[in-house]
Amino acid sequence: MDDAARSIAEAPLPTRRTLRARSSLPFQVLRFVAFNIRMLRMVKKGHH
Amino acid sequence: MARVVILGAGISGHTAALHLKRRLKRAHEVIVVSPNADWNWIPSNIWVGVGRMTTQQVTFPLRPIYRRKGIDFRQARAAAIRPEGDGDSDSGSVDIAYTDPVRLGEEERLTYDFLINATGPKLNFAATPGLGPDGNSLSVCTAKHAEQTAAAFDKVVEALQRGERQTLVVGVGHGACTCEGAAFEYTFNVENELRARGVRELADVVYLTNEYDLGDFGVGGMSFAQNGFVTSSKMWTESLFRERNVRAILQAHVERVDPGVIHYEQLDGTKGSLEFDFAMLLPPFRGADLKAYDRQGGDITADLFAPNGFLKVDADYAAKPFEDWKAEDWPRTYQCPLYRNVFGVGIAFAPPHPISRPRSSPDGTVISPAPPRTGMPSGVMGRVVAHSIADRIERGETAPLQTASMASMGAACIASAGAGMRTGSAAAMTMYPIVPDTARFPVSGRSLKETTGEIGLGAHWTKLLLHYLFIYKAKGRPGWFLIPE
Ligand SMILES: Cc1cc2nc3c(=O)[nH]c(=O)nc-3n(C[C@H](O)[C@H](O)[C@H](O)COP(=O)(O)OP(=O)(O)OC[C@H]3O[C@@H](n4cnc5c(N)ncnc54)[C@H](O)[C@@H]3O)c2cc1C
Repeated sequence: MDDAARSIAEAPLPTRRTLRARSSLPFQVLRFVAFNIRMLRMVKKGHH
Repeated sequence: MARVVILGAGISGHTAALHLKRRLKRAHEVIVVSPNADWNWIPSNIWVGVGRMTTQQVTFPLRPIYRRKGIDFRQARAAAIRPEGDGDSDSGSVDIAYTDPVRLGEEERLTYDFLINATGPKLNFAATPGLGPDGNSLSVCTAKHAEQTAAAFDKVVEALQRGERQTLVVGVGHGACTCEGAAFEYTFNVENELRARGVRELADVVYLTNEYDLGDFGVGGMSFAQNGFVTSSKMWTESLFRERNVRAILQAHVERVDPGVIHYEQLDGTKGSLEFDFAMLLPPFRGADLKAYDRQGGDITADLFAPNGFLKVDADYAAKPFEDWKAEDWPRTYQCPLYRNVFGVGIAFAPPHPISRPRSSPDGTVISPAPPRTGMPSGVMGRVVAHSIADRIERGETAPLQTASMASMGAACIASAGAGMRTGSAAAMTMYPIVPDTARFPVSGRSLKETTGEIGLGAHWTKLLLHYLFIYKAKGRPGWFLIPE
């Protein structure tokens, strides 16, 4: 096994709960809003 | 009446053209020179490349928009800049050759008061023998390439359906490539599509990259604050590779692509080869290779352009070791220091140095990413330079130039990892600033609050939202200027 493969094999594997959260509609609506707010904040901060 | 000529109608040039015309109205002339009749929202090409979108969904004709806005469009390719003019005129000028079918082969010299070079990348497939759609691998850099790639992908799916094992390689086709984010994104779209079509089991998906670690993305990786810890984009990216069972070949320079075989060298000097049934490898980028001449016709290309063909602007190009790189090395106004009415934006400006640590193999082969200049900063540069020029036209030479350094600008990168309103997924990253500034952010060079990564369906919706928003904006529809770049 090479270094890349070893590193990948040791990487954290998402739990079922994490995977469910990633596709849960209500939770993702919140994440969608949060991410877009963060993006807008960054746009405001850096773009002058 | 002043005349502004913009070379290139991609993300940065088109943004500049719309903003300039909005500011200058009919009082001044804005001319766009670009070889293609259509505009392409390049980030969505990865969806064309797996058959989830059509070319028509990611492109639209520029002419009607420019006609409506009063922008003069020349479907042509710029070949040379004469910043001092020529024997006949003192005004700077550009030599263009028409690609417009109606005027094909015609050449013209266009004078300008201000010039914006927004010619983006030249897709340098020639740097690697056998690379690219004219050779033995595929690309998603243009909508047409992506369409061909989707057809090849369908064939691989058919083979898998027949029960034949297939190896699909996605990555970069040279040690000095940039745009690893796009290759990463396409990898996970391919992987997702294979699952969606029920043929994942017999497919070996391999990501082949020049990055030192996964998650480098040409920006030296990122640090995120998550669950009370500072974690790395390396671990975050590796986690996705593990979850989706994608293999990775790191630190690789592709030397040659033969039919069905990629030959590569790695940073430690080892050579390897990888057989494939499907390979989408991005090419390295160089500048559009414009020439430059002085008033007497003497060649001054090397004064204006870096050896990689990109336009030198207000950056610090002095060679220095990685440890001495500073945020201030990066340009702020994108003005050419030799000719103050010439600007370079988007991928067309010459970066002072990479962002990732430069590395080479024992044989001296450079194997480290070139710095990315993604859509968001490219658009911002286009807008900022448009306003600088409009200010100078309206208020004169002394009007201060507007600034937007990549060391004080953030970027959002949303790497789609699967399409579908309910089943889609994407890895969304934000980073601030793009170029690390250890003076301001000693821990990792970037703000831990504003540098984030998350995976989920919501990120896919954002990617889709951006697709529609940016196409709306690029079409110059009502309120387009309210949508940030
Ligand atoms: C597959 C892929 C996916 C990507 N995904 C993302 C993403 O998700 N998010 C993101 O932020 N960025 C993404 N990018 C990067 C993004 O596309 C670029 O940052 C952006 O297009 C750069 O804008 P630009 O104006 O500098 O160049 P371009 O958009 O490439 O425009 C250059 C223009 O110049 C024209 N031109 C070329 N030569 C000449 C000449 N000699 N004379 C006149 N005109 C000329 C070209 O025809 C083109 O119109 C992706 C890139 C690729 C390849």
